[in-house]
Amino acid sequence: MPDLVNTPLFSLTWQGQLSDYVTAMDWSPDGRWLALASGAGDVQLLNVAEQQTLAFEPPTGQSIDCLQFSPDSQFLAAGGQRGQVKIWRLSDTLGAFPQLWLSLDYSRTWVEHLAWRPTRLELAFSLGRYVQVWDIVNQTLNTTLAFESSSVLGLVWRPSGDSLVVGGHQGVKLWSAQDWDEKPVLRELSAASVTLSISADGQYLASGNLDNTLLVWRWESPYPWMMRGFPGKVRHLAWSTTMLRAAPLIASASGASLVTWRKQIDDEDGWDSKGFNRHQGKIVALAFQPGKSLLASAAEDGQLMLWQKAKRVGQILQGVSRGFSTLAWHPRGHLLAAGGQQGEWRIWEQSIRGQGFQKVME
Amino acid sequence: MTSVDMPETVPVTVLTGYLGAGKTTLLNRILTHEHGKKVAVIVNEFGEVGIDNQLVIDADEEIFEMNNGCICCTVRGDLIRIIGNLMKRRDQFDHLVIETTGLADPAPVIQTFFVDEDMRDRINLDAVVTVVDAKHIHQHWEADEAQEQIAFADIILLNKTDLVSESALAELETRIRGMNALSKVYRTREAAVEMEAILGVNAFDLNRALEIDPSFLEEEAHEHDETVGSVALVEPGAIDGPKLNEWLSHLLQTQGPDIFRMKGILNIAGEDLRFVFQGVHMLFDGRPDRPWKADETRKNELVFIGRNLDVTQLQKDFRACLI
Repeated sequence: MPDLVNTPLFSLTWQGQLSDYVTAMDWSPDGRWLALASGAGDVQLLNVAEQQTLAFEPPTGQSIDCLQFSPDSQFLAAGGQRGQVKIWRLSDTLGAFPQLWLSLDYSRTWVEHLAWRPTRLELAFSLGRYVQVWDIVNQTLNTTLAFESSSVLGLVWRPSGDSLVVGGHQGVKLWSAQDWDEKPVLRELSAASVTLSISADGQYLASGNLDNTLLVWRWESPYPWMMRGFPGKVRHLAWSTTMLRAAPLIASASGASLVTWRKQIDDEDGWDSKGFNRHQGKIVALAFQPGKSLLASAAEDGQLMLWQKAKRVGQILQGVSRGFSTLAWHPRGHLLAAGGQQGEWRIWEQSIRGQGFQKVME
Repeated sequence: MTSVDMPETVPVTVLTGYLGAGKTTLLNRILTHEHGKKVAVIVNEFGEVGIDNQLVIDADEEIFEMNNGCICCTVRGDLIRIIGNLMKRRDQFDHLVIETTGLADPAPVIQTFFVDEDMRDRINLDAVVTVVDAKHIHQHWEADEAQEQIAFADIILLNKTDLVSESALAELETRIRGMNALSKVYRTREAAVEMEAILGVNAFDLNRALEIDPSFLEEEAHEHDETVGSVALVEPGAIDGPKLNEWLSHLLQTQGPDIFRMKGILNIAGEDLRFVFQGVHMLFDGRPDRPWKADETRKNELVFIGRNLDVTQLQKDFRACLI
């Protein structure tokens, strides 16, 4: 492997185990906590600074599939197979378990997606063909949105918090959070959306689709760029937080292939692609280091690759017995967490040398 | 480098049939038989499925159209989603049973397992089992769904045999065999059938040789009352590969929606291996199989099950592909 550097960029700092496949993982925006959930339904909170584990939800046999901290880091929400959305309030007392704040029960509907509004304590989650948005402080339902054409297959907020974007079969719908009763804007697709991602500046919306295509829209425009040539459905997307020329870079994963796309200056020229086929199993997660151009890709082959400038493999992290299932960057970017299909979790810390000159200049 | 064991594929049984035909009874028999195994059951409505420790998931039939160049087909979006979620487990289930409603078209269910990349890798479709209410099927003959459920079946249970006369049963069986010459038909009461007959069938495995009811081949003319029927073509001689390819492509392009299933074993000119294939609507899956044995008569056998099939035309077009 000629492109490996000698100095490890990241080294293992902590590890542990959940009772089953790690399905979801999220860092609190203040960086204090890492929350983890599994296919058996257990939820744990890790305090990385204290190396303390709070296993506050035991396994039930039914999966937790989505989990996210509120933007103020005070609440954690999780949803899953039981048709239940639970919201806990975190405690400031060291070692204290979070307190259940609100539990919403919808039997027989698998809650697969949830997302906090970035600017307020409002939580959106999917319920089959519907999305509900709740005011969490007052514990009231703000709205129920009908996606109509299919079950909800993806749910993201625009970073400014002004729009909720919902993906499904043959379309992505953009609801205005200012007026939920207003008809959503439709961005048409020829197939079903598998994954959605909005760039950090809110200017670009991307949908990875079941028909092996990736569509990217400029926020206001109904006319997408269409990217083709993927070996399978486009499952994972990640926008870089750094800009390249005029736009951020978007990384996409389809099967074991990783493809990055860079926008040309002229809109008419579209996006330039670079394909990478280093993984030998399906890529399961993809994320850029916050504020940097380092890209992490984790796959079912048990390899977590760190791509310097999203181009060159600088390091390969391993250590799960049967393939990775997810990954998440600490908001400051110095820690990287990943989960495995056998329930393992690992946290790696960036070494000083690996941070290079940028660290000195900060 | 970490070694990665590829997980074994999980068999799937698809149960179809009208409400009240006996699907739930059969499902409960399967679950009792597989006691101790991890069985995931996907149902359209929660019925009387009540076996401990089994995972029962409610599905909502969602049809997604897939257009991929010249192939278009429909898949079940809900199955892709649910099975995708179920795969996120350390120990995966041993068997998956999908129960459809009496009004469901079986094609999207079958096509899902052929088309979706995750299903193809992890799941193998074992068999489509259709339960027919021998007494009340007559009320449903006109419905497309009733005919399609029979046409797509690998296994048909003629259930509630105690409620009809032997002659009525014989007539029904003949009618069903005329519609679907590839299926195995069992007469049952309370869906009581040997589990070996319906599980581990590998009906979609190309390694399993084509099995056509011999009596169907012997009969010269088939009287079809239904628009749905089977056509079997048996011809000695060798086939011109490119010609056959052209014919089948054209046939599936033009009549794909009406061809429910097809299977065949072919003797391609210049090849020592048998060529085996199967198809569901426009989806085609074929490859060279084992060598022809020295004492075996090389011949071509094809069966089409579909709607409004033109026997004479199919025969003529197929013969034109012979060398």
